[in-house]
Amino acid sequence: MCRWEPFWTRLHQTSSLRVITFNRRIGFSARNWCRMPFRSIFIAVVIGSSLILGALIVNRARPARETSQPLPAFVEATGRCAQCHREETAAVVHQFERSQHSQANITCYDCHQRLEGQDEVEHYNFVLARAVTSLNCQACHRTEYEQFARSRHGLPAWAAVRGTAQLSAEQVAFGERYHPGAVDRPPNALAVLEGPAAIQTGCLGCHDIGTPNADGSIGSCTECHSRHSTSIELAREPQTCGQCHMGPDHSQLEIYNESKHGVLFNAQRASLNLGADPKQLTTADMPIPTCATCHMSGLDGLKVTHDTTERLSYWLFAEVSEQRPGYLSGQTEMQETCLKCHASTSVNRFYAEAEAMVLATNDVVRETQELMADLRSEGLLTPEPFDEVIEFLYFDFWHYFGRTAKHGAFMGGADFVQWHGNYELLLKRTELEEMADALRSTGGRE
Amino acid sequence: MDESSWWGRHKAAVLEAFVLSNYAFLILDVYLAHLVNRFRYGAEWIPVGFSIVAVLVLAPALILRVRGRGRSFARHAGLVVGYASIAVGLAGVFYHLDSQFFSQWTIRSLVYTAPFVAPVAYAGLGFLLLVNRTVPSGDAEWSQWVVFFALGGFVGNFGLSLCDHAMNGFFHATEWLPVFASALAVGFLGVALVEQHRTFLRISVAVLALQIVIGVVGFYFHLAADINGVSSSLFENFVHGAPVFAPLLFVDLVLLAMIGLWDVLSDRVHQAGRRPSPL
Repeated sequence: MCRWEPFWTRLHQTSSLRVITFNRRIGFSARNWCRMPFRSIFIAVVIGSSLILGALIVNRARPARETSQPLPAFVEATGRCAQCHREETAAVVHQFERSQHSQANITCYDCHQRLEGQDEVEHYNFVLARAVTSLNCQACHRTEYEQFARSRHGLPAWAAVRGTAQLSAEQVAFGERYHPGAVDRPPNALAVLEGPAAIQTGCLGCHDIGTPNADGSIGSCTECHSRHSTSIELAREPQTCGQCHMGPDHSQLEIYNESKHGVLFNAQRASLNLGADPKQLTTADMPIPTCATCHMSGLDGLKVTHDTTERLSYWLFAEVSEQRPGYLSGQTEMQETCLKCHASTSVNRFYAEAEAMVLATNDVVRETQELMADLRSEGLLTPEPFDEVIEFLYFDFWHYFGRTAKHGAFMGGADFVQWHGNYELLLKRTELEEMADALRSTGGRE
Repeated sequence: MDESSWWGRHKAAVLEAFVLSNYAFLILDVYLAHLVNRFRYGAEWIPVGFSIVAVLVLAPALILRVRGRGRSFARHAGLVVGYASIAVGLAGVFYHLDSQFFSQWTIRSLVYTAPFVAPVAYAGLGFLLLVNRTVPSGDAEWSQWVVFFALGGFVGNFGLSLCDHAMNGFFHATEWLPVFASALAVGFLGVALVEQHRTFLRISVAVLALQIVIGVVGFYFHLAADINGVSSSLFENFVHGAPVFAPLLFVDLVLLAMIGLWDVLSDRVHQAGRRPSPL
């Protein structure tokens, strides 16, 4: 008799009739309970428990991205998405895996989820936004989005080509609040003449940075940060800005590469920390500036901005460059950046020389502008734009060479001030005057 | 084992029917599973095609065997299908691991690779066919092999439940239940291989009954998730949502384990008739 048999016997006797009947049916008796192979049960439970413990330990070691998410879709997203996308569009998976978003436990679904106002698309048991826009980015980067949206990269960039096409009344009002006349305007006359194909694949290749999205948001963050790399480093690369800020109409990339800034950058880029946190960026990370450093970065505690117009003082892109409304604050903010590397005497001299160049160019352009106005008032030119050769010549005069001279002066590109700027201005001005004389002598008949 | 009892005469056929029904079910299950991938690779059709062929070969073989005819055909057909099934299973494990794991060699990639345990089902079924033909069903070894493969199935089920629900981050605490349950089943079936104490075996049966509950409840949860899924159609939900048939593997493995355990228990009952009952 085992030690517990009296206990089981008593329990058996005091149990209800139904329990006794059940016990008999399954063959259990007080003696039977005492012969229970506890050692075997113990081993079985230990094996099972060990497996469970192992599973719990492995699961506990998983990164937060894979376990701490607001919904199952967020948990599943990255791994499930990659299951297929490693086969299709595999590069986006590799780009994402190397991104800071990935390191910060952001999942595919964080960016691709449908937000209010966005069209949805069902994609293998996930509901996604049909198009990821800046609305998705601003869910986390609200301040950056607001700065970007009120910048020249926002609606003015779009309207410079398409006018108010596709813009809501609210968007027009929003854009006009920060850039009067730059949004509520007709489509670009030259683009209209060139046609929809040229607009779509040419102009909008750059100007859609300020595209009005169907969900009401403005612009495309991925123009500078790319889509799946979502890279700060990329946005700090001069070449990224140079995707659009290049060529004869705004030769910023070429000017930068000619400048001391560009030469130093290209020689020492390997030693720079282009991926540094924007809020903690120091001159130790970026002792040599790129476009973003001067126009946007919070170098050594300066304010970071995604409004690329904040630190500008002149409308350099205009025919005749006037001071911007925020001339003083823009100049002060830009000079604060300059002072991180240069003495104030150098900065002041640089600004004085650059402004002198702007004013000199303004004088030249203004004189030629008057010449064109006279020809029009004399009836030698039609009111329509771009239907006479002299109009193209005048457009090149200020749009290419006038701008180049001014940009060259403000960016330290001597060759662009002289040979690609002032020399060409002189040449084109002479040609324009000769053409004007010819028009007057023939009475407008070419 | 008493060959005069119904069970004694038909248990090999019961096991054969179990294997046959599994192949039949795998046609649908694997088809749905590979639809996720839109059968990107031609090799994904192999298990579907093989299952169809296996059913077409094993079904007449089983019918002939039950009628007491065609023993040679049934034996050889089963051996061929069995060996081929093992090959399909092992190749499947390789291909599934090759989808992600072999390029990364991480536990994470083991979770998100194609379910590498799933093809082992073919190897298991193949081995059952071989056991049914190479081990006399009257031997105690026969039932031990059956319990062993049921044990292997539960080990696989433990891995499948763990990896599948890890993909979901064990978002709902109930997702741990199949992991816990299958771990318990592994423990008890593992010991049942060497411990033939009647009481222990009965407790093991109770543990297996718990697996049935887990399987049915899991089926309900998976089905409910799919019915409420966000895909364009219910069928798409079944393809891309929670694998609706996966929890039924618990029930399936319980059936297999019960074939083995029932045989052991019956054998002891039989022996008990010849020897004094310990009870």
